[in-house]
Amino acid sequence: MPQLNPEFFVSQLFWLAVFFTFLFVFLWRVSLPRIATVLEKRQNKIDENLSLAKELQEKAKEIEKKINDQINKAKLESDEKIKKTINALQEDISSQLSSLDKDLEKKVSDAEREILKSKDHQMKNINNEISSITKLTIGKIADIELSDNEFNNVIETYKGSFN
Amino acid sequence: MAAKDSPLKQFEIDPISNIELGGYNISFTNSSFAMLITVLVITLFLTLTVNTRSIIPSRMQLISELMYNFIAQLLSDTVGDNGKKYFPFVFSLFMFVLIGNMVGMIPYQFTFTSHIIVTFALAAVVFIGVTILGFINHGIKFFTFFYIPGVPFYMHPLLIPIEVISYLSRPISLSVRLFANMLAGHTLLKVFAGFVVSMPFFTGVFPLAFIVALTGLEILIAFLQAYVFAILTCLYINDAYHLH
Repeated sequence: MPQLNPEFFVSQLFWLAVFFTFLFVFLWRVSLPRIATVLEKRQNKIDENLSLAKELQEKAKEIEKKINDQINKAKLESDEKIKKTINALQEDISSQLSSLDKDLEKKVSDAEREILKSKDHQMKNINNEISSITKLTIGKIADIELSDNEFNNVIETYKGSFN
Repeated sequence: MAAKDSPLKQFEIDPISNIELGGYNISFTNSSFAMLITVLVITLFLTLTVNTRSIIPSRMQLISELMYNFIAQLLSDTVGDNGKKYFPFVFSLFMFVLIGNMVGMIPYQFTFTSHIIVTFALAAVVFIGVTILGFINHGIKFFTFFYIPGVPFYMHPLLIPIEVISYLSRPISLSVRLFANMLAGHTLLKVFAGFVVSMPFFTGVFPLAFIVALTGLEILIAFLQAYVFAILTCLYINDAYHLH
């Protein structure tokens, strides 16, 4: 078995020592720190991004809360405004209604008075007409010429007895 | 052993250039060449793929990071926070054994991890390092490592020698495990490759198919043995911190 031949033992050990030492020192001083830096850099980046994401999330939550608050506030305000407007309108309507009622009442009473007045007037006219017709009729039938005063006296005298 | 087509011929060491230093033969051999290739592959791959240092990694960079995290996880799982100091060493060990095994899977390429002297040297570094670490951490109390608490006193004369022997055989088991796996795998491949050639036409397809399957298995073993080497190193380091 060539492995047990001591001829090249020293050579093997020598070159093993040379190459392994070189490899060890090279990896220790050059390669591994490089990889470690990359890994560390990546971890830092990940941590950074994670914390940033957390921060942004919190900010978003805050903004959402603000928006909700404002929405609620706006709702309350608008509700109040609507209520106020409704009240004002109702007041306005009732006042206008009452003024209209008053107007109407006045107009009705005016009209009634007017009607009464005209009724009186008409009655007077009718009376006059009646008396003149009666005067004419009496004049034609009895051939009696009555003065207005006499005629009125007669009518006044008998006014109540025909009813 | 010297037969021309022996399955063990692939493990023979051929000097590429003869070098002598202080009376010792330190020739640059095919084994040294395989180590050189291994070291080049590891250093170039880990350097070039991470060159851009991009936060969003390329596929190749991802492989480097994956290896880094794999060993870092292994070390933190077995040793905990104390293990961070030994990360470069364990990582180098894992990569050296892993890529050494993988380079050995290339046809006609030498497998230096199939040489007991290489694996034993690596295991000895781990063993001596861990023992020194144990003494640094616990001083003379480190010897209580061999004393198992909660055992009847009359068992200690038996158990303490067993513990000592088991401790001392760590470098042997660690090195022989890797060496034997590599040796057996490559020998088996070579044996079946011999069948492909020596069998009559057509029938040689069957050992060839077996070689294909076995190559897959060998790649798995190459990874597994590197992993075992690394995890056992981690466990030994853990022992040096926490005695029983």
